[in-house]
Amino acid sequence: MKRLVAVLGLLWAAANLVVTYWMVTGAFMATTARKEGLVAQVSLLLGGLLVGAFAVGLGRLCLRILAAPDEASGA
Amino acid sequence: MNGRIGLAIAVVLTGVSAFLIQVIASQAGTAQPWGNELSDDFVFVRALPIVLGLGVAYGLVGGWARSTGRPARRGDGAIRRFSGTTIALHALLAVGFLLALPTGLWQYLGGILDAPGPLPVYLYYRIHYVGAAIILVAVTGFVTYWWMTGDRSLLIPRGDWGRHLRGFALEIPRPLGTRLARILKLDLRRPAGSSGAFTFYEKVFSFPTWGFAIGLITITGLVKLLRYAVPIPGTIIFVDSTLHVTAMVILVIRTLDHLRYTLGRWPLVVAIATGWLPPRRGHAAGAAADVAEAERSATGAGS
Repeated sequence: MKRLVAVLGLLWAAANLVVTYWMVTGAFMATTARKEGLVAQVSLLLGGLLVGAFAVGLGRLCLRILAAPDEASGA
Repeated sequence: MNGRIGLAIAVVLTGVSAFLIQVIASQAGTAQPWGNELSDDFVFVRALPIVLGLGVAYGLVGGWARSTGRPARRGDGAIRRFSGTTIALHALLAVGFLLALPTGLWQYLGGILDAPGPLPVYLYYRIHYVGAAIILVAVTGFVTYWWMTGDRSLLIPRGDWGRHLRGFALEIPRPLGTRLARILKLDLRRPAGSSGAFTFYEKVFSFPTWGFAIGLITITGLVKLLRYAVPIPGTIIFVDSTLHVTAMVILVIRTLDHLRYTLGRWPLVVAIATGWLPPRRGHAAGAAADVAEAERSATGAGS
């Protein structure tokens, strides 16, 4: 069960890393964001980086659970 | 016994509500001048009283069915952390998020990236509205349930903020904790004491940020929803939409952090699935002493 949850968590983290990529690249490349101005671009960049940082945190934990389920999950 | 009757009442209410919403949706028909998106918006607006009413009913039934005589500790040492109603409403909230968050993100990022995505646009909105309706039911259910039961275990008592902030600073990673203590002038040499049934992190950071973000996304979402039914100035819609997106990003981050926090403390995952915090080493063992305090004050039932 623990491994299944870890795999699902890993998938969720991976999906959020894709979101991070879209947000960060969108901050520089997307026409809509450029039209809306610097605030929109900075918000996209900051939001994307934060989502990415937390996704990496979750991903790392899930990998640790998959490697050693009892040690990494505090059970 | 009350639990089974309560569950039966909840199932009947869900069925009646689903039927009424289906009637509202079918009344919209196809012979109307709007597109699918606008039509769905109006269906959701008209279904709002039923959605909110169902949430209140869940909370009332949960509060009524909650047994006050249940033991807070099992024979094997497991401690009751959540009631059946809390587990059900938490699961409902999770389903709502699973539907509303990805579709909301796609609507936002699809607009930014100018990419329509694989599904017709109205379907993203429809799934988003279904997810939002489920979240509304769960949120109103929780608020009513807490009102009914008087449970305030996730709230910080008045006058106890200093101790909780100190406990929070001691629980988070040391570099962050010492920095926070310096900013807030907290004396980390003083012991923080017991946090009760929930950790300082959950009470000081997790629950308030969830509450803020869910409240913000609900209010701004309702304003966005009502804009076709009630005239609202464009500036307000712009600010409202910006805040809605901000709340969405906060919720995306909170979901990731919540999963990181709980998956790293497996007994908490067991507790939200079964209601019982298992008697194991690590968090559960540490929490046992904390919950003992909650046991004394609680009526023997978990939040």
